[in-house]
Amino acid sequence: MRVIARSFLAFLRAAIGVMVQYRGEIFLWAVWGLINPTVLYLMWSAAAESNVDQTLAGFDRGQFAAYYLCIMIIGHFTTAWDAYELGYFIRSGALSPKLLRPILPIWDSLAQNLAYKIVTLAFVAPAWAVFFFFVRPAFEAVPWQVLLGIVAVMMAGALNYLLGYVVALVAFWSPKLDAVGETYFGIAMIFGGRFAPLATMPPILYDIAWVLPFRWMFAFPAELLMGRIASLEAALSGIGIQFAWLAAAIILFRIGWSAAVKRYTAVSG
Amino acid sequence: MTQIQVDNLCKTFRVPEREGGFRASVRSIFRRRYRQVHAVDHVTFSVERGEIVGFLGPNGAGKTTTLKMLSGLLHPTEGACTVMGHVPWRREPAYLRRISMLMGQRSQLAWDLPALDSFLVHAAVYDLPKRQYQETVEELIDLLDIRDVLKKQVRTLSLGERMKCEICVSLLHRPEVLFLDEPTIGVDITMQARIRAFVADYNKRYGATIILTSHYMADVTALCKRIIVIDHGKILFDGRLDELSARLAPFKVIKIDLDREIDGYDFSSLGDVLLREARKVLLQVPKRATPTITDRLLRELPVLDLTIEDPPIEDVIARAFGQRRSSDENPGGEATAASGKAGKEFP
Repeated sequence: MRVIARSFLAFLRAAIGVMVQYRGEIFLWAVWGLINPTVLYLMWSAAAESNVDQTLAGFDRGQFAAYYLCIMIIGHFTTAWDAYELGYFIRSGALSPKLLRPILPIWDSLAQNLAYKIVTLAFVAPAWAVFFFFVRPAFEAVPWQVLLGIVAVMMAGALNYLLGYVVALVAFWSPKLDAVGETYFGIAMIFGGRFAPLATMPPILYDIAWVLPFRWMFAFPAELLMGRIASLEAALSGIGIQFAWLAAAIILFRIGWSAAVKRYTAVSG
Repeated sequence: MTQIQVDNLCKTFRVPEREGGFRASVRSIFRRRYRQVHAVDHVTFSVERGEIVGFLGPNGAGKTTTLKMLSGLLHPTEGACTVMGHVPWRREPAYLRRISMLMGQRSQLAWDLPALDSFLVHAAVYDLPKRQYQETVEELIDLLDIRDVLKKQVRTLSLGERMKCEICVSLLHRPEVLFLDEPTIGVDITMQARIRAFVADYNKRYGATIILTSHYMADVTALCKRIIVIDHGKILFDGRLDELSARLAPFKVIKIDLDREIDGYDFSSLGDVLLREARKVLLQVPKRATPTITDRLLRELPVLDLTIEDPPIEDVIARAFGQRRSSDENPGGEATAASGKAGKEFP
């Protein structure tokens, strides 16, 4: 564990070094992460205001603002791109040197992921403040909801990262993975409540969202942070479900990785 | 002490294939065809501690695939192998810490950072104590003469500079077994010579076992006493480099400089005429007949100078592959010159 921690810190330092060099590109990626929730906020708040009671599925404009500000923040802390990148590494042969190290390549990828989140925080945190200032979100959260919400966001980050990596393992069987990645992200957007709060969904989709992991990665921490999950019991059981999904993702990763490296054909080097 | 033991190692790839053209492309949507490629086919050999073994073979012979299995990158289809008592494809960290594989066409260095940053990552991953890292890195920097390039971004380095940095990072943890896959590919002759000298020095200093693949014969002749020739995934020859010519090419090349032009002399009755110029002849003759033929040439011709040489190792290898191919194409045909010999050749 000590070696992993030492390696992880070294990977993190190196990854931050690379990201700082490409700050322009990193900045644009960070901006892209802000655009999507902003557009969706504008769309849903306009839809709510067009109704007689100025609400939609129990959300008024201020609540949509709070929800999408939370989604914006959660989106930053949960972003992961291995489902795109691993396929490229396999196709190009760049995975081979990583596999020769006495440490799983996932630690290097995770360090790069964390480096991105740390470096871009300098760009996105002020943007969140500007969003807060202009749209005046209606937060109803009390301190325990905020505290548990922060825990839920961290769990969501870990869960989305690991599930994304498990999906990325498909690349060992079919290295051209972009379509799989897009499908995964699309499903996560819908059932995670990123396109629309889950309360706006038809009952059947709402029920499906409960049994999939995506709700626990996006909608749940957002609703907890904005104060919509009122009972402590519901909040704790949500975090418990996050833990269960994380445990399942770890098991899936271990099984998947073991099968994947046997399958590895070291394409083009 | 045997450090690498390989027994009947096989690797078969299932490769999709189709004819060229649009129609074949559409047809492949409905019916995909696959071909089994036996990249490594029942390969058996062992390597002693401290040996440097050269792996020779044409493109696609199975050299790199074998090294990838020995380093744990690939799982074999069949067969067994241990390296320092470890089964490579179990990929135990304790094993990976004791080896290194340098792939001439793959970089271990972070492209956008100075090489020194990659060295630090390597030190952490291999859990090198700070003092050991400092000592080793200083030693390697001096030996490879790379102090001036360490602070430059890797992507701005020349190929030779980058390759020296790749070698440095590969050796920071002082691997006991080193797999070198085309370590001098693309670098100029001077740099090739320096890399070779460094590899030989590392082998002497640390008693490291080294398996080397290269397209450059000079790499192999300079470093390896023993070579393994592989083609179509099978071992054609395993033995000392100086035995290779004797076994695979029992010929000598006689170079004759004549004092004056000679017309009508039938050199072809003595052997294969490789070159015939006005006053210069290159003759390939069977090794056993060399003294008789030399004697006859000296008696019958106005010889100014005569030298007897072994054929170039490149020609021997090319000949070995050529024979292998012709015997594949004509399995029931006449035995090739090198077939039927004792020892590990042309199975």
